[in-house]
Amino acid sequence: MSFDRYEAKREASKLQEPVDEARLLAEKLGLEPYPVNYWIVDYDEMNELIAYGGFQHRYPHWRWGMQYDKQQKQGQYGGGKAFEIVNNDNPSHAFLQESNELADQKAVITHVEAHADFFANNEWFGMFTDARGDDEVDAAAMLERHGRSIREYMADPDVEQAKVERWIDNVLTLEDTIDQHQTFSASHLLGGPDADGEELDDDLAEKLSELDLSDEVLEEVFDEEWVEDQEGDGAAASFPETPEKDVIAFLREHGKRYDEEAGKAVEFEPWQRDIIEMLRAESYYFAAQKMTKVMNEGWAAYWESMMMGEEAFAGADEFLSYADHQARVLGSPGLNPYKLGKELWEYVENTTNRREVLDKLLRVEGISWRNVADTVDFDDILEQLEPPEALDSITSDALDAVAELPDKFVDREALERAREGEVDVDKYPWKVLTYEGLARRHYSLTKRQNRGFLKRVGQSELERIGRYLFDDAVYESVDEALDDIDHARGWDRMREIRESHNDVTFLDEFLTQEFVDENEYFTYEYSQAAGQNRVASTDYEDVKKKLLLQFTNFGKPTIVVQDGNYNNRNELLLAHRYNGVMLDIEQAQRTLERVFDLWGRPVNLMTIVKTVDEHDIEVAKRRNREPEPEEQGLLIRYDGSTFEERELPWEEVEDIAASDVDYDTKPDDWLA
Amino acid sequence: MGLQDDLERFREVGEKRREDLADFIQYGDLGQSGKDDVRIPIKIVDLPEFEYDRRDQGGVGQGDADVGDPVGQPQPQPGDGDEEGDPGEEGAEHEYYEMDPEEFAQELDEELGLELDPKGKKVIEEKEGPFTDLTRTGPDSTLDFERMFKEGLKRKLAMDFDEEFLREVLKIEGWGPDRAFEWARGENVPVSKAWIDDAYDDVPRDERTTWSSIDELEENVDREPVQQKIRREGIKQVPFRREDERYRHPEIIEEREKNVVVFNIRDVSGSMRQNKRELVERVFTPLDWYLQGKYDNAEFVYIAHDAEAWEVERDEFFGIRSGGGTKISSAYELAEELLEEYPWSEWNRYVFAAGDSENSSNDTEQRVVPLMEQIPANLHAYVETQPSGNAINATHAEEVESHFGDSDDVAVAYVSSEDDVTDAIYEILSTEEEAEQ
Repeated sequence: MSFDRYEAKREASKLQEPVDEARLLAEKLGLEPYPVNYWIVDYDEMNELIAYGGFQHRYPHWRWGMQYDKQQKQGQYGGGKAFEIVNNDNPSHAFLQESNELADQKAVITHVEAHADFFANNEWFGMFTDARGDDEVDAAAMLERHGRSIREYMADPDVEQAKVERWIDNVLTLEDTIDQHQTFSASHLLGGPDADGEELDDDLAEKLSELDLSDEVLEEVFDEEWVEDQEGDGAAASFPETPEKDVIAFLREHGKRYDEEAGKAVEFEPWQRDIIEMLRAESYYFAAQKMTKVMNEGWAAYWESMMMGEEAFAGADEFLSYADHQARVLGSPGLNPYKLGKELWEYVENTTNRREVLDKLLRVEGISWRNVADTVDFDDILEQLEPPEALDSITSDALDAVAELPDKFVDREALERAREGEVDVDKYPWKVLTYEGLARRHYSLTKRQNRGFLKRVGQSELERIGRYLFDDAVYESVDEALDDIDHARGWDRMREIRESHNDVTFLDEFLTQEFVDENEYFTYEYSQAAGQNRVASTDYEDVKKKLLLQFTNFGKPTIVVQDGNYNNRNELLLAHRYNGVMLDIEQAQRTLERVFDLWGRPVNLMTIVKTVDEHDIEVAKRRNREPEPEEQGLLIRYDGSTFEERELPWEEVEDIAASDVDYDTKPDDWLA
Repeated sequence: MGLQDDLERFREVGEKRREDLADFIQYGDLGQSGKDDVRIPIKIVDLPEFEYDRRDQGGVGQGDADVGDPVGQPQPQPGDGDEEGDPGEEGAEHEYYEMDPEEFAQELDEELGLELDPKGKKVIEEKEGPFTDLTRTGPDSTLDFERMFKEGLKRKLAMDFDEEFLREVLKIEGWGPDRAFEWARGENVPVSKAWIDDAYDDVPRDERTTWSSIDELEENVDREPVQQKIRREGIKQVPFRREDERYRHPEIIEEREKNVVVFNIRDVSGSMRQNKRELVERVFTPLDWYLQGKYDNAEFVYIAHDAEAWEVERDEFFGIRSGGGTKISSAYELAEELLEEYPWSEWNRYVFAAGDSENSSNDTEQRVVPLMEQIPANLHAYVETQPSGNAINATHAEEVESHFGDSDDVAVAYVSSEDDVTDAIYEILSTEEEAEQ
């Protein structure tokens, strides 16, 4: 594949108009996307792009082959048809499949615009680029550079290619052991046991990153001695002082490789250290995507639906194909991140709008949070909240009616041009409206599927809103209050949230019992007694916990470096921050083998396991109860050839077990 | 370049990672396979990571459900298809490597180091194979027309030339038949001198200087390639020759069909708990597949017994559990009866029994052993599945072993855990192999 080939196709005139118009509509709706370059590719090229994570040039590795293989099969045998791919870059590059119907293409384009807005505004995407400034992400270039470097190492006659491949494998097993809440810093942990990238003067860290120096240079100039001088004297009590979350960085700094011939640990080759850092940078780059998947996909699904469905971006004849498209994406059973995301955004929109309405109503003389039931007729209110007719259906013959709408809703200039026939109002009615006009037009609370939302408000929420209102007799009538409503509150708030939140904070803040009930979410757990998965809870706190388990730390257990000089013999001690859910021990052992390759000396992992006696299970089955597992501390040690497991007394693992949240949601009398 | 290389790399890694047969038999999930279709899970190759224990993790679902309701398998999701995130995100999944019993048997041979060649009872059947033999004569209906046509076409192409053009060549000023012939030869046109001479005579005198040079001719007249000419004139122009005719015959294949009947006998009495039953399943299922793979025609009979014996279907066989005591001879008596359907002269026979070695007193010595001697078979086997080592009164296996000793048609194996399963299978199969040697 090469970009050159796309150049020609790029001008596919058929799609130029939808691309341009989608951008204009997105902006009218309040979005601020990065510029997007659209490319047309065929089915195989699409699969290839997806297999490579959205970029064409990556380092050589069998995983890309595996991913490609898997996708081809899914496409053949399953319904997993790939629609689009867009990467987080400025400008973004979006790839569309040439064989898709126009309706699909339009859906994809609107979807892509929303993604591009998310990339441009969500601060977690900004973290990677903070040192360089928003305009110079150029992820594609970075990944390509890495690919080239690694290929060069592989071609180097002094370096065995298989060794390079194995080294990459080793690092990849730890790709999620980064500290994703910190800004990416190339100099993190640089320069010795006591140096911590963050504590190193912030300015200095930033400047170092800006300089974009290679690690070799950084180490030469800012070596241990120099840094220690900065820090002052005094050996640290433990190493690391506090448990280190960025395990890869720690290994890069303090790891060694085991030399078979010499029979001991020796320094890394420069290429080894370089590869660790490159892959670590990539991990940080992709971390933002992984951390915001639900939000991002939900965001794109929401705006796609708004543009395609409500704003009829899809023509009348394309609409059925579009409905089909949506069904395929959102309709698969089980937990679907697109669906969860979209539902949550809609919930956010509705709750914000509801709050705004109630805020105004509670300021009407005579209405208070105590007497709402008696003084407010929600059905009436809902009727009044309907958008005015002229706003709802706009056609070229109805422009006069549009002209009479309040100023804030109407784009006067566009209306003039429409009258002169320069704007196709029948096809693009939104052109004559402003952002506020569109927000009014698509007001969420009056949509058919949301009609119960307003009156469903719970008493505690009423109280929460009403209790601290100081000016609570501002309006003389309900009408007056309704006039004052800001109909764009919902969208405004959504945009704020898409800036600041990630999946964990998004779920944590907005998932409520109302949401869980309305959308019928539940948790399930494995029952030893029943020998299968069973529904465990429909309580929103539990649902939230389970979801957070899947999204916190990329859905992986948190592993930290506890001690770099364990047993006083330079052994590595990793600790699993136990939260009620066990590690997959077999996987952990296999991963430890790789960690050994990166440390050069014996490696240890401290964790907690749950065991259930066979006998207890039988007893429990008979009594139709769930057996109680026993928690036990465990230390796994690998010295390069054998594994050793040792039980640890509770005092030794107390620290890692300390957790205010237990992610196990099995109720006490579960299957009784 | 990039993708092809990476696909190649993947295939290499994948080949090494398929769950090996021994692991599959001993610890794997046999439940996904059927009688004829062995499905071995392959973990879609992926690198290890620090991950949660899948079971312990639980999950979230959507739907109208009450606490305690069973939940189905989690489905693959969109976002597996068009995500822009790191591909490595989704964990390993199971796919199955499917093989038929024949392949299974071959693999097991390799893995266990066996080379069992089923012998004995063969029935020779003549079958008509594919129509691949060719002769020069035969009934019209078996004429290989395509071949004949191709030969004719080749011939025509070899002989044909553009006559019109050649005639024009003869009209070049200063050229004559000799020069024209030279030119034709140079162009590989398969024309004879005689033809040129004749053609030259036919050219009217005043036309013999129509063209000043070959170049002028070529500029003004198009040559028609032979294929086009054939197309234009139709295939009737393709000459068919007698010597091109070929007639097709079916091959006669002699097939030797090998028959086998396998009797699976199991103690289903009260003492045979879940873990013992599972061990039996792990030994018998691969044996059945193996034999099915080695023989062309395999039949299976399943007998369950406690103090009495009765015949059952395959799907019930491993799960049944009854209450009573144990009398192993009842099963052999029933087997003897049922074996009348499968005469020793025509059928290879395997009689496998399994249990925890418990039996009513004297039954082994007085009835089972004689019955085993009486029932002719390629191989008798007893598999003792006793996880906790020996129990009192559980001596059946020992007794059989001491009685039959090194006999080459009786095998006894002891299985106390999954780890022993492949050894047991080897023990049983190699007994017959030794017999062959």
